[in-house]
Amino acid sequence: MVDIGIILQILFWGIYAGCIYILLATGLNLIFGVMKVVNFAHGEFLMIGAYITATIFLLTGINPYAIILLSMLVLVGIGAVVERLCFRPILGTSKLNEIFLSIGLIYIFQNATAMIWSDEWQSIKSPYQGITVPIGSLNVPLDYIIIMVLTAAILCILYLFLKKTVLGREMRATSQNRKGAMLVGINVERMDVLSFGIGCALAAAAGTLWVVSGQVFNPYMGSIPAVKAFAIIILGGLGSIPGAIIGGLIYGIAENGAAFLLGGVWKDAVSFVILIVVLVLKPTGLFGESGE
Amino acid sequence: MNLCRDGILRYGTLAVVAVAIVLPFLTGSMFFLNLLCLLLIFIIFASAWNLLAYSGQGSLGHAAFFGIGAYASTLIAAQSGISPYITIFLGAAVAAFIGVLIGLTCVRLKEWFLAMVTFGFAIIVQTLTVSILASSTGGWDGIASPRLISPDVPGYQLIEYYSILVITIASILAIWWIMKSRVGLAFSAIRENELEARASGINPVRYRLLAFAMSAYLAGVAGALEIHHIGYITPEIYNVDISFWPVTYVIFGGLGTLAGPIVGTIVLTFIWESLKMAGLTFARYVIVGVLLILVIIFLPKGLVDLPNRLRQWWQVRKKPVPDVAPVTE
Repeated sequence: MVDIGIILQILFWGIYAGCIYILLATGLNLIFGVMKVVNFAHGEFLMIGAYITATIFLLTGINPYAIILLSMLVLVGIGAVVERLCFRPILGTSKLNEIFLSIGLIYIFQNATAMIWSDEWQSIKSPYQGITVPIGSLNVPLDYIIIMVLTAAILCILYLFLKKTVLGREMRATSQNRKGAMLVGINVERMDVLSFGIGCALAAAAGTLWVVSGQVFNPYMGSIPAVKAFAIIILGGLGSIPGAIIGGLIYGIAENGAAFLLGGVWKDAVSFVILIVVLVLKPTGLFGESGE
Repeated sequence: MNLCRDGILRYGTLAVVAVAIVLPFLTGSMFFLNLLCLLLIFIIFASAWNLLAYSGQGSLGHAAFFGIGAYASTLIAAQSGISPYITIFLGAAVAAFIGVLIGLTCVRLKEWFLAMVTFGFAIIVQTLTVSILASSTGGWDGIASPRLISPDVPGYQLIEYYSILVITIASILAIWWIMKSRVGLAFSAIRENELEARASGINPVRYRLLAFAMSAYLAGVAGALEIHHIGYITPEIYNVDISFWPVTYVIFGGLGTLAGPIVGTIVLTFIWESLKMAGLTFARYVIVGVLLILVIIFLPKGLVDLPNRLRQWWQVRKKPVPDVAPVTE
């Protein structure tokens, strides 16, 4: 008989882990939707976000939750440069090329980071460490609650941006039909840069949240979350942001459940088991269209 | 023209093989010999990956087959006492069998779904190795693996080198033969247009599985060779790095060509080791990453296409610039 408290705890951790996956997967979804590009190096933007946050925090001592804005801004810039220099020249060539290019980007980002900050595992302490809030029968760290609220806020802002602003509308149009968007006078290349930038900013936010929650990080931390984020958007449906949210939560909970039941080594493997099972049963993903 | 190029190719190949045979005598340094062995092993590995890509399937988890071949060969050799020369091929058969199983889940998938499934598969195998199978695989600590040739034999490094060379040449000949056979034609037909391939009577599922099996087999041979050469195996053999190297080598040399993996592996290893001698560590990866991206963007067919590109460029340059009449009203 499993204690109900433990189940709640796993659920809670799962939701917290899910928040990071949701941000990552939403960004990827946005990029994929607009550009139809597969960026396996997306996790490296999370890693850079994490390092920016940790460095600024250690240098200045600003509340790390405030640094999220800065790290997002920096990553918009990096994302725009990467899009312009690397992905735009190969748009429209084979899908495999995008994967190969991502490998090059992974090499560059991971090892440039290792050159600057060394490849040791690091972690920082959040100012709210040790503060817990009692909810029902379990004590929840305050950090986790802030992270969930922040994730929700970022997603709401993104939603409003996509639905209510002209730019957001243009982005959605591009993602629905690129040629059609061109015909009505939308600058689709600008939309590419924009979506890539926003996607990277979301990854940076995920990186900041990763760091402030006290998790360890090193230059190689990004690749596995990135592939998991891909698994999530396959589960949740390509281009569907609600799908990414649900998929992210499922993954977070499944991982923590597996780590509890089978042992910590299974944490990563279980997400790929889920992915493979889903793809065997339905090769286009749970909600995927036949398109891509 | 074609005949002449064929001649160049034939003599070029013979020259490369001759250099490979003579090279150990020129230096005599053990470090260099070890490097050459690893180079040959990675040529097999990259060619194996290339064969799968030739059928239109890009795997990001070939370390799984590399590692399964290595572990299977090590365990068989250690438990039964059979010579590694035989277990290499048995271990690779295990890798091929697993390759067919993972191929079965992949045959219906689009390129990047397949890339993710294979990537995840390497992680699953690593997890299995350190958890459920830990009692026989030694978990994270790994286990000792029987050497290809016992170090007591005089000149064992040379024998090892020539054994690896023979297996490499045999693998490449096999791939060459596959690529120019009907099977190879079917592979490229599926890669170019699956619908048309099906219309002309090719069963894509069967050929894709065949590609998976052959590629996994050769990757398993490469993995087993490496492990019997080094004499020790740990689960790090499944690391993402090992999966990415063959991809990098092949893209560098030229995707889907026989010479591509060979040229790519030799050139990149040369660059890599030179950078190492220059004292660079992390910067090496950054440089390789930049080179990789440059090759993808500017030389999509890889280094083997460089002579053609240079010739084209030369011809364009030699052509007189046509007079452009000034535009007037």
